[in-house]
Amino acid sequence: MSTYVYGIADADHTGLPEGMEGVGSPATTVRVVTGAGLAAVVGDAPEGLRPKRRDLLAHQNVLAEAGAAGTVLPMRFGSVAEDDAAVVAALEEHAEHYKERLSALQDRVEYNVKAQHDEEGVLRTVMADHDDLRELAARNRAAGGGSHEDKLRLGEAVARCVQQRESEDAEVVRAALAPHADAVNPGPESSGWIANLSFLVDRKTSEQLLQAVEELRQQLPHVVLTVNGPLPPYSFVEQTPSASSAAS
Amino acid sequence: MTVATTQGGGSGGTSGLYDVLELILDRGLVIDAFVRVSLVGIEILKIDIRVVVASVDTYLRFAEACNRLDLETGNKKPSGLTDIVGDSLESGARGKTKGALSGAAETISDAFKQARQEGQTSSRRRTSSRKEEQE
Repeated sequence: MSTYVYGIADADHTGLPEGMEGVGSPATTVRVVTGAGLAAVVGDAPEGLRPKRRDLLAHQNVLAEAGAAGTVLPMRFGSVAEDDAAVVAALEEHAEHYKERLSALQDRVEYNVKAQHDEEGVLRTVMADHDDLRELAARNRAAGGGSHEDKLRLGEAVARCVQQRESEDAEVVRAALAPHADAVNPGPESSGWIANLSFLVDRKTSEQLLQAVEELRQQLPHVVLTVNGPLPPYSFVEQTPSASSAAS
Repeated sequence: MTVATTQGGGSGGTSGLYDVLELILDRGLVIDAFVRVSLVGIEILKIDIRVVVASVDTYLRFAEACNRLDLETGNKKPSGLTDIVGDSLESGARGKTKGALSGAAETISDAFKQARQEGQTSSRRRTSSRKEEQE
């Protein structure tokens, strides 16, 4: 039976969610496998596991539960070892690295902040900032909306300014929030956002980051900010333990 | 409102899942000795929003929208315009869809739906739950 791995914690982590429902349908049960002073949060790997909504949620919930009670290195969704013995072997092989990461990330959580432009809001901002766009729009309106070409010309000019505004606002968001975090990592590329940033913060001082987000909302009313956290530090675990252990 | 979505499960976790999907799928520890389950169908996550913005449809929509904006604000001078911007954004920022952005967002939802192969929740419902979260 192959083994699904959720994350890695110190062996003395006392709040690991043993017995909790994990991935799979019907849900598998979360277990703990220990070795080299470390504990892996695992479960039996369901046959034919796919990134379905319920499984992604289960992965996230198990890690949230484990992370609430102590530091845990979250695995990327869908990591499957041959069996429990292979998990223990992996723990032993890179024990120093995992311990170093666990200690570096102690009491740290990740907050993911995504920024979107409110379309009407950004159009207003862009129009207010550019005399030439207002003139173009006024000319079109005077001509009863303008020809197809006129509309395209205006729309293209507006789109260009909107895109420029996207990068400017993305930078403002980053600059305002970064001072409240130990580390910043841009999220993986995905669409729909002008900025997608993950911040590593001390669990105890995360309120400062949230406060800065609130101030940004006042400062940039045409930017919609979505905050998710506290999360396990997905974006701050090193992903190449082999490289690191080779160096040590 | 500063409502940080806590990922503790329940319905809050469900709507938050959409927003951290790419972290769960694309970040986190990888161990070479382990295999990963297939993520076929999820790659569509990487569409760039700019593809959506730079299209004739968008240009026309922006032109239309700007026309409407100017009608609302009348012949106000630029300085007056800024004041009005502040007022109307109160409601605007909490407005409905995100226009150009929503197109891509729905594409992701669709891809996600396909990947799930199970129709428990429609992409429409997921989109609306995100809206609620922001309000």
